[in-house]
Amino acid sequence: MRAKRILVVDDDKIVLISCKRVLEAEGYQVVLVSNVEEALELLGRIHFDLMIMDIKMPDRDGLYLLEKIKKNWPLEKWEEFPILATSGYSTLDTINNLIERGAKDFLAKPFTPDELLSSVKKILRKGENHGKR
Amino acid sequence: MFSSTRTRLILSLLGVSLLVGIVSLFIGVRLLYNTVLNEAYTRIRLDLNAAREIYDSRIKNIYTALDIASLDKSINTYDSQEKLHLVSKLENIARKANLDFLGITDAEGETYCRIGPIPASEKPQEIKNPIVKYLIENYGKTAMGTVVLDRSFLMDENPSLAEQARIELIPTPRAAPIEEKIETSTMALCAAVPIYKNDKLLGVIYGGIVLSRNNEIVDTVRETVFRDEVYKGRSIGTATIFYNDIRISTNVLTPEGKRAIGTRVSEEVRNRVLVKGERWTDRAFVVSDWYITAYEPIEDIFGRKVGILYTGVLEEKYVDVRKNVVSVFILITLAGMVVSIGLGYLVANNIMRPVGRLISASQEVSRGNLNPDIGPLSASEIGVLQNTFSRMLSSLRERDKLQRAELLQSEKQASIGRLAAGVAHEINNPLTGVLTFTHLLLRRADLNEEVLSDLKVIANETERVRQIVKGLLDFSRQTELESEPTDINQLVNATVTLVDNEALVKGLKLEFLPGKSLPRITVDRSQLQSVLMNIIINAFDATEPGGSVIIKTGMGYSPGKINRKGIEISVTDTGHGIPQENLDRLFDPFFTTKDVGQGTGLGLAVSYGIVERHGGTIRVWSEVGKGSTFTIWLPLEEKGES
Repeated sequence: MRAKRILVVDDDKIVLISCKRVLEAEGYQVVLVSNVEEALELLGRIHFDLMIMDIKMPDRDGLYLLEKIKKNWPLEKWEEFPILATSGYSTLDTINNLIERGAKDFLAKPFTPDELLSSVKKILRKGENHGKR
Repeated sequence: MFSSTRTRLILSLLGVSLLVGIVSLFIGVRLLYNTVLNEAYTRIRLDLNAAREIYDSRIKNIYTALDIASLDKSINTYDSQEKLHLVSKLENIARKANLDFLGITDAEGETYCRIGPIPASEKPQEIKNPIVKYLIENYGKTAMGTVVLDRSFLMDENPSLAEQARIELIPTPRAAPIEEKIETSTMALCAAVPIYKNDKLLGVIYGGIVLSRNNEIVDTVRETVFRDEVYKGRSIGTATIFYNDIRISTNVLTPEGKRAIGTRVSEEVRNRVLVKGERWTDRAFVVSDWYITAYEPIEDIFGRKVGILYTGVLEEKYVDVRKNVVSVFILITLAGMVVSIGLGYLVANNIMRPVGRLISASQEVSRGNLNPDIGPLSASEIGVLQNTFSRMLSSLRERDKLQRAELLQSEKQASIGRLAAGVAHEINNPLTGVLTFTHLLLRRADLNEEVLSDLKVIANETERVRQIVKGLLDFSRQTELESEPTDINQLVNATVTLVDNEALVKGLKLEFLPGKSLPRITVDRSQLQSVLMNIIINAFDATEPGGSVIIKTGMGYSPGKINRKGIEISVTDTGHGIPQENLDRLFDPFFTTKDVGQGTGLGLAVSYGIVERHGGTIRVWSEVGKGSTFTIWLPLEEKGES
């Protein structure tokens, strides 16, 4: 079984490094990008099993990224693509908004390694079940 | 509005005085005039009686004169006397008694001799003298009274008497229509006395006074009854003797100032008095003026109604009395009106001045000045209004102050919230790094105990930082309310159950006194519960073992926002209380009196935000050493929630 490939999008380097250290220790293949354009470019070329992205409230970067992917990809592929959104500041409203726009789950910053891993495992398990069906 | 109130006040006062004036004028004049008039009528009736008395006394005088004459020797034996001697005797008597005619007849009534230029004729003739005829026909009766004498009798007696009786009729308005132009008959006062000889009727002595143009009686009436009273150059009292309806003896004057002999009485009076024989007392138009009059019929010796006796007083005198009364009343009314205008003006000014002050004060209030000058306090109801207005102003000021304070508090919270959100967002990224690497380090097996224990301290403190930031975010986050209709007592009860154990452990008495029949209100249960929990836990922390915490619910009115009904939840403790200087900062974020690590200082700030988003308020009462009461007020009606 090949290692799951995870794309992490965040403009804060320490968050990127933290994710890389925790996820690689668990055997995931991790790719880090710090802006939306890079992420879109990579998503166009390479297959990822999961994307972890910062919403960067109150900027609109995260939402913009979601819109772009949805526009570029076929509907079926888009619907199956697992996205874990993160933010240091969020309200129930913004979380609901994200889920509506395609994010599969939300993880509030700051998080511990255990919290990150359990979120990732949960979302991947869901994806697998989905795939099997 | 200002001046019209004053005008209305004055007008109504004016109206009242006018009404009273008119009514009293009407009633007063009527009453007074009627009294005066009644008095006048009574008087005129008495006057008529007096006039009748004088009239009758003249007849009596004639009778007496004749009676005395009949005892005279030469008249007693007239048939044996010389006629010349007799005539001079008769002339003497007539002069003394003022008689117009006087004569002696025999037992058959034939004239034997008489005064006057024409001697009694020798040839037998018809008895023309009605009084003698009456005496002979009614033998034994006293014969005296009024008689009607025709021209032939008068011509026989004395042609000058016929001339005296001849009266030209003067056309008179209101009189009954008549064809004759000249009246030749007349009325006379007459008497006849029998002369006896050896108890046998020997003859009759007769005599009388022709009334035509003889004003002696009417003038005597005027002199004695009316005492010659004069009003505006005219005699007030008048008297008249009518033959039929013709004035034959009067002191009523024509407009030319002559006695109104020959004029006639009005048809109305004639019919009533002469035809029906009634007395008449009323105002009547006499010749040329209105008089208050009395008329009564004159009967002759045969009982026929042959004439009228009249007395009257000028009505003008009484009309003038009425005029005077009316003008006095009008004067009084006018004076009353002037007084009421003045009084109305004064009263209106008195009332309107403070009202005017109030009006300008309220205008100032509407412009935003809550400290207007309302002028000196009035002693009347206006004073009550002024007091009420002042109280209203002070409650407005209080409300204004409260609203300002509330506004300030929520502005403070909002700006702190924005700041906290920004800071939290930025801190959360590095915090992720710190958390991650601390935990990664903790997983390493090659570390000695000392390093491991130090790392645990780092991990714990980082966790604390994370909690503080989370609290900050909770505070700043405008968490949506998930409101649903809620039984407040149930909610409080559920919360009390949660903290029951903690109270028991701390040795505190926890009591819940639910208010009866509270309506359900729409609230976010979990958020409100966290508010309640926060306040209750604070109360526990402030209270020493043995103390008590009492929770009450009930209906209450909002502070500041007048008349808004709602539900109150109060939490009262017997703790150490909150010093005054801390009360103002109680709801500020990060304000805490607890030891470091015991509280974030965000609990009450968050609670305040939640209650505020429900449209409610939190009030605090506290006294150091006695305890505190936190009161949550929530509105009954649904408020727009954000």
